[in-house]
Amino acid sequence: MTALAANAGPTRWWRSRTVRRFTSHHLALLGVAMITFLTLACVFGPHLLPYDSLYIDLRARFSPPLTGYHYLGTDPLGRDVAARLLMAGRTSLLVAFFAMLLSTLIGTLVGVIAGYRGGWIGAALMRTVDGFLSFPSIFLLLALAAALKPSPAMVTVIVAVTSWMEVARIVEAEVRSLREREFVLAGRMLGLSGAHIMFREILPNAMGPIIVAATLTVAHAILLEAYISFLGYGIQPPLPSWGNMLEGAQQYLDSAPWLAIIPGAAITMAVTSFNFIGDGLRDALDVRDDHV
Amino acid sequence: MTERSTTKKSNYSRRDALRLMAIGGAAGLFAPNLLGKPAFAQNPPASPTGRVVVGLSQEPTVFNPLMPHIEADEAVHFSVFDALVRMDPKGVLQPNLVVEVPSQKNGGISEDGLVWRIRLRDDVRWHDGKPFTAEDVKFTLELITNPKFRAWRTAGHSLVRDIKVVSPTELTWRMEEAFAPYQSFLAETFMVPKHILEKEADPNAAAFNQAPVGTGAFKWAQRVAGDHIELVANADYAGEGPYLERLVFKYIPDMTVLYTQFKSGDIDLVDQAFITADHYAEASQLSDRMVKLEPGASVESIYLNLEKPQFKDPAVRQALYAAMDRKSILEALYYGIHKPTETFMPQNSYYYNPNLPAQEFNLERAGQILDEAGWVPGADGIRAKDGVRLSFANSTTSGNHLREQTQQFLQQTFAEIGVEMTISNLPAAVMWGDFWLKSQFESAISGVTNVIAGDPDVSNRLHTKAIVAKGGKGSNTGQYSNPEVDALLEKGARTFDREQRRAIYLRVQEIVRQDLPFLPLFAYTNVFGRKQGLEGFEANSNTRVASWHAAEWHWKD
Amino acid sequence: MRGFLLNRLSQSLILLLIVSVIGFFVLNLLPGGPLAQFGLDPSMTQDDLDRLKEQLGLNRPLLMQYLDWAWRLLQGDWGHSFRDGAPVLAVIGRHVFATLLLMGSSTAIAIAIGTWIGIRGATHRYSLFDYMATVGAMVALSIPTFWFGLVGIYIFSLQLGWLPAGNMYTIGDGSVLNYLHHLILPSIVLSLVHVAIWSRYMRSATLDAISQDFVKTARAKGLSERRVIMKHVVGNALLPMITLAGVQLPSILTGALVTETVFTWPGMGRLFLDSLGYSDYPVVMGLLMFSAILVILGNLIADIAVALVDPRIRLG
Repeated sequence: MTALAANAGPTRWWRSRTVRRFTSHHLALLGVAMITFLTLACVFGPHLLPYDSLYIDLRARFSPPLTGYHYLGTDPLGRDVAARLLMAGRTSLLVAFFAMLLSTLIGTLVGVIAGYRGGWIGAALMRTVDGFLSFPSIFLLLALAAALKPSPAMVTVIVAVTSWMEVARIVEAEVRSLREREFVLAGRMLGLSGAHIMFREILPNAMGPIIVAATLTVAHAILLEAYISFLGYGIQPPLPSWGNMLEGAQQYLDSAPWLAIIPGAAITMAVTSFNFIGDGLRDALDVRDDHV
Repeated sequence: MTERSTTKKSNYSRRDALRLMAIGGAAGLFAPNLLGKPAFAQNPPASPTGRVVVGLSQEPTVFNPLMPHIEADEAVHFSVFDALVRMDPKGVLQPNLVVEVPSQKNGGISEDGLVWRIRLRDDVRWHDGKPFTAEDVKFTLELITNPKFRAWRTAGHSLVRDIKVVSPTELTWRMEEAFAPYQSFLAETFMVPKHILEKEADPNAAAFNQAPVGTGAFKWAQRVAGDHIELVANADYAGEGPYLERLVFKYIPDMTVLYTQFKSGDIDLVDQAFITADHYAEASQLSDRMVKLEPGASVESIYLNLEKPQFKDPAVRQALYAAMDRKSILEALYYGIHKPTETFMPQNSYYYNPNLPAQEFNLERAGQILDEAGWVPGADGIRAKDGVRLSFANSTTSGNHLREQTQQFLQQTFAEIGVEMTISNLPAAVMWGDFWLKSQFESAISGVTNVIAGDPDVSNRLHTKAIVAKGGKGSNTGQYSNPEVDALLEKGARTFDREQRRAIYLRVQEIVRQDLPFLPLFAYTNVFGRKQGLEGFEANSNTRVASWHAAEWHWKD
Repeated sequence: MRGFLLNRLSQSLILLLIVSVIGFFVLNLLPGGPLAQFGLDPSMTQDDLDRLKEQLGLNRPLLMQYLDWAWRLLQGDWGHSFRDGAPVLAVIGRHVFATLLLMGSSTAIAIAIGTWIGIRGATHRYSLFDYMATVGAMVALSIPTFWFGLVGIYIFSLQLGWLPAGNMYTIGDGSVLNYLHHLILPSIVLSLVHVAIWSRYMRSATLDAISQDFVKTARAKGLSERRVIMKHVVGNALLPMITLAGVQLPSILTGALVTETVFTWPGMGRLFLDSLGYSDYPVVMGLLMFSAILVILGNLIADIAVALVDPRIRLG
């Protein structure tokens, strides 16, 4: 009685309808290809480049792309932009990935409890979700960033804390509709505990929307990290991130436009990939298209 | 609002070109004085004409000059209001609302420095036509110390007692103790009208604060919040000028956009925080623009929290100082416009000590100093002594990328001598709050103006009694404490004679250079830019803004 | 209907309470504070800072400060800005026009272009156009707005010199043309995301409408395809769009924040960032409440619109 069982049936999982649908979704495959490429580049790329991402050389500052071995040019301290871009990718993708895990965890927990319990507990939880959603996200981001020392772990927490609400809403709606289904009622009659029903019976059946929401949350998290680091409150130098590479780039827009264009293109590429994948998963997992 | 022709097109002539070259060669320092007052007062228009748009990177929002405000607000204050005296670019006080600057020589200040007698001009009127009198001065000084009023600084004012109005043009007061810097403080104490403010139940929320009435060369016209403030000429101004019909302060939060608008001609003059260093080279090539380097009053330094065990050893401070490649930082990161300095005193101050030993970048020497002092590298390559690792965090305002670049550069050179510096930057509202004031930082990069209104008294920064973390009152955030300096500072604050004071502060600078409570990076040089043909402008590092005397500005015919 | 409104009202009040409590305490518990801006001022002594803290009432217990603030708010007093002493509503009011202008024009662009793309995509389903529009919308949603703004400035202001790099107008030139000239770039940048969202919504709303019986009937009656689309489909598809408009109402404040920063636009978004930077608590709180009220209003509009469109849903 789990999602996988329902979908996979007796056939092998890779022949399942879900996988077939996903693999016939061209954009999703493109997304997977792009993100695989980005990830591999960030993992292995820095070892292949001649420069270290932290090596400062003031004589070589502001070299435009394709100067010697500086394929993407250098920054105001003469550091290699290509090396920094790939190291920054590690930071940004890791932060986004763990922020996704954390916010999905929080959102799922809140959503399942609110949807299954309902009543005043559900109402209180969902009003809190509404409350969080009523804040301009930048307020919570900046307030948290000011209060906490901005280490990568803290930035992850900050991003997660400001992006779990959407997951909670989706899960709550899903759980509420599953609550009255036969298998749940059967579980209750068998005297199973609330926790058991919530997390062993209902949750697996709500996995589809959660997976889709989680994928889109990665995309969102990359943007949020970029945003707070762009404003100077996020990942602190010298550790590069795509966001903090953009910080200050506006000042050099006229003289060194590549400083702004390159990290932004990387962000757009990564976010687009996750959005494509999310779209493919939504089709493949038969998730209703409530959210754009 | 559609006076397109009011900003005069400046005609670039051969004479201008020649003069520009002459001035350019003389490098900012004394160039403004070369022109001298008669030179640019020679042909101002008979009646106020034209308009000047001043660009500011912070938004002026506080128009009651006695309330807490930032630099940008003073640009408006100096134009709408007058103080009793005015600090000129050479650091000499000039009369403004007074007939003569009170001093011990002319009897305005008693020999013991305790009794002050002020004589006022009799021809000054408020913008609403009411005469300005000694009652207004008394009201202003009393308002500042009124406990219900949210006053800006009260230093000096809190010592004033028994203000007596002798006649409409004369008043006296007594000081609780002799305090020489008060003369200079008066240059930044703008007079407010008694007849308007005395009627207000709550001076903090008075309508006046949004539509100020002063005695200055320009009258309040209107404010478009978040955008600009417009002033118009005060035809009845008692002093010289104004020669401009309109003065506009435009708020542009982004320094690059500020420069772009100067380049495009939307802005006639760049004020706080001036043209950024990276644009200087390009700006100085612009035709029809006067772009000059003017020494500022701020000094950029690395402040060390001397109560942290890493920094208690003077050898560490000396080694760190020797490990700073200031030349590279200045030339590469700051485009060579700022000047290396060895002291907290502004370089064009009368009290500046030019004979201090010059810092030399020498990593070998730095390592040697640490070796000799017993700081030896541990397993991780970081030096340590008596269980104290030579590792510290450095903080500054996050988002200030030039400082962030400096930090990362220093981090690399410090690492070469076995010193670990981590970077931990904070948003401005956090950084300069208790974290800074109550000495919670380990080390910080900060650009600080140490002198107030050109007065050399730095007790607030360097006196032991100014350490807040130890119950003091002031901003000695690095917790520097040296009894000899304390004694000298106390003596300096009681001394009115310029020469005697000079000797005192030269000695203070010598001791501080030796102790290195902070490591100077550079003395700020501001890049001033204005349109060719805007005359009567003079830079003044004793004030915080370029628009300190817009009354004399005018367009060349 | 009445029960619905009462229920909504009570829920809204609870929401406002939650927002104000969280906002107030988060704001006040931040290190630093409104006096930090004077931390580097050589002339402010600790005495002065302590005195100002006392005068601003910032050394009272937090709960007291909150209750005081909330009590005044209930009486219609939003407090005064710490920065310029002006009433909070006046401070916000001064920035409303700029934001409305920017949001209005970008929303107009978004509706015009988004509706067109959406309808065309739905009526030419699975065509190249539809495919491109889908991909385009997803890419548009993935571009960081501030970066898109920077690229726009780089191309159109710095390289081509066609459009101003920032500001709402040139001082001394209050003409409509001048405003329009300054408006083009930021409103296009801001509308990018909205075009994407509107076109997606419009597409699915149109698809829904096409599959309805009355459309089939209209077709059966022999009406031209164009007429069917314009009259029946679009008319029905537009109603759900009101829902979207309602849901997007709060973005009046936050949606323009980034764009206003990049283009130095004197609107509420930048006021919010500035006030946060100066820890101007009364103004920040005012903007937070303002934004919460917009959220409530937006949801209300959306719900009512849904109820009007779909007779199966009864408000109650």
